[in-house]
Amino acid sequence: MRYNDRTFGILMIVLAVAYGWGATQLPEPFGGSEAVGPETFPLLLAVVLGLSSLYMILRPDPDNAWPWSRTGIELVVAVLVLVLYAALLQPLGFILSTTLAVGTLCWRMGSTPVRAYLTGAASGVVVFLLFNFALDLALPLGLLAFLEVS
Amino acid sequence: METLGYLIDGFGVALAPHNLMFALMGAFLGTLIGALPGLGPANGVAILIPLAFSLGLAPETALIMLTAVYAGAMYGGRISSILLNIPGDEPAMMTCLDGYPMAQQGKAAEALAISAVASFIGSLVATIGLILLAPLLARFALTFGPAEYFALFLLAFATLGGITGKNPMKTVVAACIGLMIATVGIDNTGVQRYTFGTLELYEGVDFIIAIVGLFAISELLFFIEARAGGGKAKMMVNKLSLKWADIRNILPSSLRGGVLGFIAGVLPGAGASLGSFIGYTLEKKVVGKQGYFGQGDPRGVAGPEAGNNGASSGALVPMLTLGVPGSGTTAVLLALLISLNITPGPLMFTQNADIVWGVIAALLIGNFLLLVLNIPMVGIFVKLLSVPPMYLLPVVTMIAFVGIYSISNTTFDLYFMVAFGVAGYLFRKLEIPLVPIILGLLLGPEMEKNLRHAMDISDGDWTILWDSGLAIGLWLFAGLGLILPYVVGPILRRRMHRAAGSGGPEAD
Repeated sequence: MRYNDRTFGILMIVLAVAYGWGATQLPEPFGGSEAVGPETFPLLLAVVLGLSSLYMILRPDPDNAWPWSRTGIELVVAVLVLVLYAALLQPLGFILSTTLAVGTLCWRMGSTPVRAYLTGAASGVVVFLLFNFALDLALPLGLLAFLEVS
Repeated sequence: METLGYLIDGFGVALAPHNLMFALMGAFLGTLIGALPGLGPANGVAILIPLAFSLGLAPETALIMLTAVYAGAMYGGRISSILLNIPGDEPAMMTCLDGYPMAQQGKAAEALAISAVASFIGSLVATIGLILLAPLLARFALTFGPAEYFALFLLAFATLGGITGKNPMKTVVAACIGLMIATVGIDNTGVQRYTFGTLELYEGVDFIIAIVGLFAISELLFFIEARAGGGKAKMMVNKLSLKWADIRNILPSSLRGGVLGFIAGVLPGAGASLGSFIGYTLEKKVVGKQGYFGQGDPRGVAGPEAGNNGASSGALVPMLTLGVPGSGTTAVLLALLISLNITPGPLMFTQNADIVWGVIAALLIGNFLLLVLNIPMVGIFVKLLSVPPMYLLPVVTMIAFVGIYSISNTTFDLYFMVAFGVAGYLFRKLEIPLVPIILGLLLGPEMEKNLRHAMDISDGDWTILWDSGLAIGLWLFAGLGLILPYVVGPILRRRMHRAAGSGGPEAD
């Protein structure tokens, strides 16, 4: 099966065309055009990417298997956890969001839930203390703001 | 003699108490990173960059610390090759051949100590080579015009996959993707390119976010896919009994390996894995019948180990003198230089002499520290091997989050990092190499600037790009770098595999 490289090659050709077209639409810089304008280098890149992607379509390597089924779901869960971690870092505060994110990741990677969330909480508290007191970098406290020593 | 004076000044910088402290910390962290499962040198240095950055370290201190991390990670990588027969990275493959048999014979401590000594000698030889060669190359590089630089960048991309690389076209695709990402933002002429009106993209894509995402986050996803959450069994190491005669016995092998490794590291396209492979085969030829290679010959540990450490110091030569890195980890170090506002290249030797020579001196001191650190503390590092990745990787991911967050205190960067992580996972699945993407991100602006200068000089005549003898030579080598993997790559790869696969003494 050699679908991966072909699909990726087609996607990259689409990208190359879109990117190259985008380059031709760039406005002329203030002060008139030059030998190398803002569009020259991108156009060069679009051509090279187009040609090398064409090679990938014509001479594809054998595929690596994709993890469908359960492992695939685990991966999606992991990415979701990371996105939620980023989203909740400020509202929940560093310690709580780290406990949740690191804990969930450890748990999904095979640890028992109790040990997983304990690892998350411990690492969150240690890194928070390290950053706020030893390194003087403020991390958000969020919901735990009442603990703040002024 | 000029060099000696600079070097003494360099020692002055590197021996300043707080620099020495950070070097020690870096060496320790580096060995830790090398020893821990799932954290390669490039990955480890990448995660530490934002931290060094947000700590507000002085440029020379940050660079000294991360160079020590780099050297330390090379030391740490061999621990799993010897004890578990699992090479931490590709160059360590050859160390497994004799290191693992030694460990099986109950001589794990000796194997580790020998590899530490050989690494030290290899790095020492290569650092001396670096001191002699780098100023010469830097002076030569001053004659480069913009057209030559443009060709040099092409050469760097073309040889990045190495002549043992699998599919050079994928390197080209990866380099284009990296260069394209680098064009996002406001360019030199003041035109916005590909920003889609998003304020966060005006300044372009921060390459540190891209590097940490591509390496650290994709590593986490790979571990989840492989379901490799459980740890390895606990390892026991016997008590060390190393005699002076043993060290004297491996001395010639280490010296030869170090020299070969250095050459392989400096040359574009050769790299550390070829360095250690040549080191090993040469050792077998030189020692001949008296050796028992593949069955735990200490010289079979010393040769490749000195070779791969020599290569990693050698790889710093093109990075420091030309601003063109030859490996993933040196690319990450280049990222650090650029973000510290130091323009890498020949001028660095005159404009930032204290930093360059400080780093070179730090490399010497760091290697000494590593030797002292490694022999007595190897027990601790061995214990680290059994830390289960299911706890380690989430915590490392968290540290990556903290590092990126602390640069700008915005969540936008974190989403971006996760997106790069997912992309990195897909690229690795498709066997698109990540290092050219990063190199493209780093070199893109320089490359375009040099193209623009060259064209301004020639008044729009494209032939200037291959007008001088030097430029033609660089184009030629770049072409060879893309063609040779198709010609000699399969042969070399087969040989390396045969040597590594059977491990028997009769394998050539």
